[in-house]
Amino acid sequence: MRLSRLRGENNEGLLAGLIILLVLMMGVVEPGFLGPATLTNVVRSLLVDLTFALGMLVVIISGGIDVSFTAIAIFSGYGVIVLMNDLGADGTVWPFALAALAGAVLGGLNAAMVAGLRLPTLIVTLGTQGIVRGALIAFVGSQYLSNLPTGLESLARSDLFAVTTGGGTARMTLLALPVAVLCVLVALLLRSTMLGRSIYAIGGDVESARRVGIRVGRVQTFVYLFAGALAGFGGLMHVTLSRQANPYDLVGSELDVIAAVVIGGASIFGGRGSVLGTVLGVTLIAVINNSLVLLGVPSAWQRLAVGLLVLLGVGLQALGQGRRKSPPILAEVRS
Amino acid sequence: MTGVRTVAGVALRNAHVTRLVALTLLLVVVFSALAPRVFPTALNFQSIAYSVPEIGLLALAMALTMITGGIDLSVVATANLAALTTAGLYIAAGGETATSPLLLVAFCAAALLVGMACGAVNGLLVSRVRVSPILATLATMQIFNGIAILWTDGEAQYGFPDTFLWLGDATIAYVPVAFLIFIGAALLIWHIVSRTGLGTRIVLVGANPVAARYSGVDERGVLMRTYLISGLLAGIAGIVIAAKSTSASPDYGGSYVLLAIVIAVLGGTDPFGGRGSVAGVVLAAIALQVLASGFNIMRLSPFLYQIAQGLILLVVMVVELRRGRLLERLRGLLTGRPG
Repeated sequence: MRLSRLRGENNEGLLAGLIILLVLMMGVVEPGFLGPATLTNVVRSLLVDLTFALGMLVVIISGGIDVSFTAIAIFSGYGVIVLMNDLGADGTVWPFALAALAGAVLGGLNAAMVAGLRLPTLIVTLGTQGIVRGALIAFVGSQYLSNLPTGLESLARSDLFAVTTGGGTARMTLLALPVAVLCVLVALLLRSTMLGRSIYAIGGDVESARRVGIRVGRVQTFVYLFAGALAGFGGLMHVTLSRQANPYDLVGSELDVIAAVVIGGASIFGGRGSVLGTVLGVTLIAVINNSLVLLGVPSAWQRLAVGLLVLLGVGLQALGQGRRKSPPILAEVRS
Repeated sequence: MTGVRTVAGVALRNAHVTRLVALTLLLVVVFSALAPRVFPTALNFQSIAYSVPEIGLLALAMALTMITGGIDLSVVATANLAALTTAGLYIAAGGETATSPLLLVAFCAAALLVGMACGAVNGLLVSRVRVSPILATLATMQIFNGIAILWTDGEAQYGFPDTFLWLGDATIAYVPVAFLIFIGAALLIWHIVSRTGLGTRIVLVGANPVAARYSGVDERGVLMRTYLISGLLAGIAGIVIAAKSTSASPDYGGSYVLLAIVIAVLGGTDPFGGRGSVAGVVLAAIALQVLASGFNIMRLSPFLYQIAQGLILLVVMVVELRRGRLLERLRGLLTGRPG
């Protein structure tokens, strides 16, 4: 009983254990790994993916999937930089607000197709991915921009705190703060608002949700607008943290984010998932990638590792559910 | 007279196929008018026929899995792995000097086997472990691609002999061999889907899995076979790709997954499962290649073609699946009532 509670509703305990085990193993192999620098590096490397993952979590809980978020993210992030350069404008907070707004508008495309016309989410978002990315490179710009406006440039260098040890200084980037706030907000949204519960409800069973009076279309509209806004925000954060705006970035890395959310215990069929699980899933992938880089393993192994982790995660989920899910009549026949 | 009546009858019964033929002809007429000296030439039509097979085969694989209500996102990665298998075997056998027809047959068979092995992995995951097809094939796409990169260090592999490259550049009566291979594969799939019990069961599983289960259809076996055939088609695509591009690379065809889905849906495949047309997919592949060729001749950016693909996908889905709902919504907007 106690053990199962430790394991968590969506295997959160198992994931936390796995991460700790991995970190300890790396500490044995590479003693320098267990230091504040590793923590700040891992956090820095997972911030963008975590922002995307929060949006993806909400989409997946609602029973959908979104592969357009990378295109929306780089469109918003790159577009805002182009706009700032054209206008000669500078700032730190409003560009992020604008990027989130641009993301929400592009997410509106998905919302209209999914909520308005009830088309399958994978195919709709594949279509919008093509449109948004094509529009970015054909109309907004195809140039790699290596200079960011000074406001964003200084934001990229701002630290929340810095720890100096013998090996050097470990700096925690200031951008960790808004992402932490976002995690708390999404957790509150999902756990204790009517809207959040409705998202779980339509993911669990659309028809039942509709019959108890949930406005399915409105909830779905919110989901895709929200995921778009988070993608836009994350896109500008990616541009800021990497201190360059490259329109060819991000697209193609969708699986890493979907994988993190699914490994974090969210069910691809909808209705299940938690922010804590997602944070742990993103952390696990970031720790694995970080360790493999440190060990000098080629990056193709990361691809393999992520693919295998997804299969392991969903395979476990599917095997656990498969036993319960046979229809009542067949269950009688079988027993 | 009866001939005309038969044609008219067939056209009426296959309204979708007729629309696709009309669309293709329209595209040909429009681009011929825009570029009269380059577009409507035998050379250009032959070049379209060279470029249709690889994407057409991938779209057939995609469409087949979509008929069961699933999807196969790993087709391109599977094709590349199959192409690399042939390349690896040829390099081991002496590269350009390995011209024996026996080796050609053996190495193509090896590529098909690798394709089917990839399909078997997907089939096992979908039918036995019961992982959702989207996730299973998204993960295997990553895994197959990772294996291909590790195998080759991410570099393109060369060293095919002329006997193999013949598959990619030869023509028989002006028709490229690769196109004939594509048509042959399409006929085989058409035969399976419309003329065998397996085909009926594939459609039934996609149309209503619960009804299929209660009717005693072996759902697992049907899904397993579907993904095996999908892998086989991807393997054929891999051979065609290697022969046409004279190399095999782990990153070939990055945008082909989207394009294959666009073609499958444009060809009349219902992504919810239960409906699909092999003739439609073949025509859709030709129509989109005509469009690509037209864009190319008009010197439009390939990213505009990417936009066009996305738009076509969404528009066709709305028109094919949700015509009624769209009209209802518009009417609701006009009269001020919520839809």
